[in-house]
Amino acid sequence: MTEMKKAEPPQDISQYKGVMVYLDSFNNSLTRAALEMVGAGRKMADKTNEKLYCAVIGGSTKAMAQEAGVHGCDEVYGFDSKDLAMYRSKPFSDILAGLVNEKKPNILIVPGSKNGRDLAARVAVKVRSGLTADCMDLDVEPDTRILLARRPDYGDSTMSEIRCEKHRPQMATSRPGTFATPEPDPKRKFQVEVREIKLEANQLKENIVSFNQKNEEDITGSKVIVSGGLGMGKPEGLELIRKLADLLGGSVGVSRPIADLGWISREHQVGQTGETVRPNLYIAAGISGQPQHIVGMMGSKVVVSINKDPEAEMNKNADYVIIGDLYEVIPKLIESIEKVTGANPSPA
Amino acid sequence: MALELVVLIKVVPDGKEVFVDPVNFTLNRSMATNVLNPADENALEAALRIKDEHDARITVMTMAPPFAEPFLLECMSRGADQAVLISDRAVAGSDTYPTSLTVAAAIKHLGKVDIVFAGEKTSDSSTGHVGPGVAEFLEAELASYSRSCRYEDGFVTAERVLEEGVEVVKIPTPAVVTVITDSNIPRRATLRKKLNAQKKGIIVWSLQDIGLPSDWVGLRSSPTVVKKMLPFPAIERKGKVIGLDMMDDFVKELVDTGIIRQGGN
Ligand SMILES: Cc1cc2nc3c(=O)[nH]c(=O)nc-3n(C[C@H](O)[C@H](O)[C@H](O)COP(=O)(O)OP(=O)(O)OC[C@H]3O[C@@H](n4cnc5c(N)ncnc54)[C@H](O)[C@@H]3O)c2cc1C
Ligand SMILES: Cc1cc2nc3c(=O)[nH]c(=O)nc-3n(C[C@H](O)[C@H](O)[C@H](O)COP(=O)(O)OP(=O)(O)OC[C@H]3O[C@@H](n4cnc5c(N)ncnc54)[C@H](O)[C@@H]3O)c2cc1C
Repeated sequence: MTEMKKAEPPQDISQYKGVMVYLDSFNNSLTRAALEMVGAGRKMADKTNEKLYCAVIGGSTKAMAQEAGVHGCDEVYGFDSKDLAMYRSKPFSDILAGLVNEKKPNILIVPGSKNGRDLAARVAVKVRSGLTADCMDLDVEPDTRILLARRPDYGDSTMSEIRCEKHRPQMATSRPGTFATPEPDPKRKFQVEVREIKLEANQLKENIVSFNQKNEEDITGSKVIVSGGLGMGKPEGLELIRKLADLLGGSVGVSRPIADLGWISREHQVGQTGETVRPNLYIAAGISGQPQHIVGMMGSKVVVSINKDPEAEMNKNADYVIIGDLYEVIPKLIESIEKVTGANPSPA
Repeated sequence: MALELVVLIKVVPDGKEVFVDPVNFTLNRSMATNVLNPADENALEAALRIKDEHDARITVMTMAPPFAEPFLLECMSRGADQAVLISDRAVAGSDTYPTSLTVAAAIKHLGKVDIVFAGEKTSDSSTGHVGPGVAEFLEAELASYSRSCRYEDGFVTAERVLEEGVEVVKIPTPAVVTVITDSNIPRRATLRKKLNAQKKGIIVWSLQDIGLPSDWVGLRSSPTVVKKMLPFPAIERKGKVIGLDMMDDFVKELVDTGIIRQGGN
């Protein structure tokens, strides 16, 4: 528990060094978002010439710690307990805050998954520091070692740069999909320390009754996403979108108004208030390309815009632009794909 | 003894909210008004559903300027029993640390509390920090990102919706539950409750009332500071225009560059 008082900054911030990444995991394996944050953390640690620490908590963390090491971490701390196989807010936040107090990192970044955000918000209170949510960009000023945490503004086409100048560690979360995952280097040198953890009864009041793994499509891992916007004009448009997505072995995405209308569930919404995706191929059909949509797909490798308006903002954010009515363009595209690739192409 | 439930609300701007015209599916971006944060509507409904089944009292609470009063009254008109407005010039500019601190101190000032409901996040700055932050200050158990919850014999059972699936957790009270947007259908106000709410009025507390020094909160005691506004990062994309007659070549290009694969598995 954290005593109710002001967030008093530490006297001497120069003793806070290095970057720490919390590694999100599920079923004893690291999430993609965890590795993305390792990449983002590595860049910052290199810029200030400091160490990259990682923390992973779970039932058995050794293999996950190794994986973080080959992806760019210098010192990995694993915390093992049979009671920690699933995320639990209280013990996880106690452990991470404990490691922060021990290692005193200058920066602490946490994947912005649901559990990651839950954890980061609690740890920020425990260590009495500042936390910036949903950063699209994380950078550090080399001389001051100040974290430059940039996040989208509400409704506008701007980003805010948020700083935490006096408190340490400077904390931030980024949504899964924000950064590319770094390439592993099997020859990298790193240290792993796994600690057996004993928990007290008052840390274990949360009882996980059941977990139902969902089989609905999670679009964030898809290599191909075909998204439809208001340009579809009617719910049936989604059938055409799905046909193209299926042909490419991909998933269906939508702009927010389509989810607002209830034509498809929220999980398919791409953008600031939806999912952040970075597929190899993103096809936007009948989407105007407002900043709140762009921010959710700007990490895509190749972007195609299908729009009847040559001036649409989406076209400026696309590698390929097909001007025309999507009801005419998509069937033609499907025909060409079938012709060129054989009946069943799949994402590379 | 009645269950004591607290619902945290925030009034947010609706100005740029997208409103979809249900007839011709166009966007209406007008109307700069304030609304109750959407997830908080669901948080209130989640509390009301517990009150439907148990002897419970609901307090709605917000830290805001007085313009939030009509929204507190609206919550009472839907079934909340009392409303607390924490209003003090000193809280202006608070980031999520002092916001959580102030709200937690006000909850503590209320006395015994069993369950605190908050939204998963707001639709304006949408950090989602306040619910977990309040849980931390209150030493309460936490079930974040919940789509439903039940109460029985001192325990809350909640369904948390996570990326990997749905988790059911059971936690003892005192507990904080953060409720996801669209997870239930909020009930409407009734005229009788509305009249009662107006008669009853709103409880207004200053920082002094809840025992917080004014230099613990506000802009100057917030660890994070918004430093500057930047344009959205521009992406350099080539924007090659593909004519309808070039479709085969286009698909070949995608295959050649390894974006889609020839054949299939
Ligand atoms: C706080 C906030 C958060 C938001 N979050 C998100 C978010 O997460 N995701 C998101 O997507 N939006 C979000 N929005 C909404 C966003 O600002 C836009 O309003 C929305 O993305 C527009 O959706 P759209 O492109 O489908 O519709 P429109 O802007 O109406 O565009 C439709 C496009 O279709 C084209 N078109 C029309 N008919 C055809 C046809 N037959 N064939 C081909 N093209 C056609 C038109 O030329 C136009 O370009 C948010 C807004 C706010 C204020
Ligand atoms: C552009 C911008 C970016 C910002 N980014 C950050 C940031 O990254 N980190 C940070 O610390 N601060 C940030 N802030 C400050 C933040 O807006 C305030 O601290 C705000 O009071 C609470 O944050 P929230 O709206 O994100 O609440 P959330 O944590 O998203 O709210 C969740 C729930 O908590 C409850 N709640 C929230 N606010 C109140 C309240 N005032 N009274 C009662 N209950 C409430 C509601 O139930 C709500 O649904 C930012 C502000 C702006 C303008």
